[in-house]
Amino acid sequence: MKLERSQSLQAHLLSLVLGLLTLVWLGAALMTWSDTRHEVDELLDGHLAQAAALLLVQQTRADADDVVDAPSPHKYAPDVTFQVFHNGQLTTRSANAQTSPLSSERTGFATVILLDGGEWRVFGMRDDENDVQVFVGEQTESRDEIVWGVIRNILVPLMFALPLLALLLWWAVRQGLAPLRQLSQVLGQRQAQALEPVVLDKVPTEMQPLVESLNALFERIAKMLAFERRFTADAAHELRTPIAAIRAQAQVALGAGTDAAQREHALQSTLIGCDRATRLVLQLLTLARLEETPAISSASVDLSALAQRVAADLAPTALAHQQSLELEATSPCAVTGDELLLGVLLRNLIDNALRYSPDGARVCVCVATESGQAVLRVEDSGPGMTEQEMAHLGERFYRVLGHTQPGSGLGWSIIKRIVDVFSAQVQVSRAPLLGGLAVTVRWPATT
Amino acid sequence: MRILLAEDDPMLGDGLRAGLRQLGFQVDWVRDGMAAERELLTGGYTAAVLDLGLPLKDGLHVLQALRARKNTTPVLVLTARDAVPDRIRGLDMGADDYVVKPVDLHELGARLRSLVRRSHGHVHDILRCGSVLLDPSARLVSMDGEPVLLSTREFDLLHALMLNAGRVLSREQLEQQLYSWGYEVESNAIEVHIHHLRRKLRADVIQTVRGVGYTLLRSREPA
Repeated sequence: MKLERSQSLQAHLLSLVLGLLTLVWLGAALMTWSDTRHEVDELLDGHLAQAAALLLVQQTRADADDVVDAPSPHKYAPDVTFQVFHNGQLTTRSANAQTSPLSSERTGFATVILLDGGEWRVFGMRDDENDVQVFVGEQTESRDEIVWGVIRNILVPLMFALPLLALLLWWAVRQGLAPLRQLSQVLGQRQAQALEPVVLDKVPTEMQPLVESLNALFERIAKMLAFERRFTADAAHELRTPIAAIRAQAQVALGAGTDAAQREHALQSTLIGCDRATRLVLQLLTLARLEETPAISSASVDLSALAQRVAADLAPTALAHQQSLELEATSPCAVTGDELLLGVLLRNLIDNALRYSPDGARVCVCVATESGQAVLRVEDSGPGMTEQEMAHLGERFYRVLGHTQPGSGLGWSIIKRIVDVFSAQVQVSRAPLLGGLAVTVRWPATT
Repeated sequence: MRILLAEDDPMLGDGLRAGLRQLGFQVDWVRDGMAAERELLTGGYTAAVLDLGLPLKDGLHVLQALRARKNTTPVLVLTARDAVPDRIRGLDMGADDYVVKPVDLHELGARLRSLVRRSHGHVHDILRCGSVLLDPSARLVSMDGEPVLLSTREFDLLHALMLNAGRVLSREQLEQQLYSWGYEVESNAIEVHIHHLRRKLRADVIQTVRGVGYTLLRSREPA
């Protein structure tokens, strides 16, 4: 049974219970009716047969057309009739009996329409030895009256009981639904920002899971909101510094006066500051988009080919700093994932390696399959990281101390997020070959 | 005025240092909280510009450590944390001023001058000692209403003496106030500047306390 959205649970329950109750009651009445009908028929048929037998025994002989004006000892008497035939001649009949035989069936029961238009139940019986034929009839209407009397006795109380029951049920259902009403009241009175758990006086067992999952949801939302708030605050914080730097450098350029070298330096710094702010904004947007949509794609991407493309894109940046960017991807390596997202991952990994390595450093990108797992490793010959710094990595906006390269730590957050989307593993270690930092991304083995 | 700038962002630090130097401040720049604390406890700075999000030691902790050791160097907190609770916490922990990034260099300079003035108990921006007037923001000096042309060092020296009028400053203290890092200070530099000042102003403006240092007598007129 589908519950309409706007329908009240109480009305629904009430109508359901009342409907079923009426149905059951009516069913009982129907059964009683058929039962009673059967019993009454049996009983009265028995009486008819008994009466006929009595008549037959008493009719030794009689004169023709002897109309017995039988007294009416009972209110049902007019509904009863009889005929007695001797040698084919009607000898005795009741006052309300016709002259022709009541039924064409000479023996046994028959239901016939008589001349008065009424329906009668007739029992015929004959004594062949004395040639006596007896018919005893009874109007069926009187039987129906008895049956209907019984049914009325069942149905009439229902008429009175139903409204009373409806009232009582309404009250009972209302009582039963009180916890639900309390919950909706508590929820309705909450402030939009209120995310503390719902506390009710008494929670019925059935509602326990509801309240629990509701509270769990509130907790999740609260966590998410706190996270968002922190992120926004951190992002604003992180954006303020480059903007402050741009402003300071621009003012230095304005106030440089005759010092051309200082003005030149300040203007160059202003430009670099703008690039830095732009990169930060782009990273923030990427991260926000990543957090909005998990971007699950089941397409198969060749990691080797993609790494080659991204490396080619970044090679000019590397060459500008006399850094050598090497790619070791000899055989195709298929991984499942979104190509765009994989591109962002590769770009961030290689870009980070180039950015945090000094001029003339080596950066090596390696794509391989190790025991069924696709592995991407980016190594550099830069200064690397201490254990402590590695532990801090992944905290948003964490920067390694003493770096001349401005960064926000957002690149790493992006890498972490994408790796999570692919359910891959990322690991940071000391580069075994180049001595700097090695970042290894390991995809789950494909089965 | 010698200022310690504690800022970990290379570009902002570079810009602030250059900008404050243009405004006539002597600026030393440190990039982490430990260095900031060490320098402030030993260096004799007129004031400090302190970023809060410093590596190794948070700016607020540096401030706390300074105040715990009775160091009263005026500190201007320069930070990107603009939430009201952050500001309150910063001021409660002993910051003398709280400025949110980005900041105008001239405003930063004005706030620093105001901090220094107040920390020396002066109410007015323009310092007065007898007939000598010194305007720190315009970097102008006059005597008996006539402008006096001073070099940067001479101005800074006179400024330091006027801020501390009535107190004797040693040669070392004056050197600390005048020179940021990286300057080779000649042993008689202060004497030379004092000599020039006396020539340009009046011989009796600056008193020598033999074996101790120099002082300006506090004027009788209300400061």
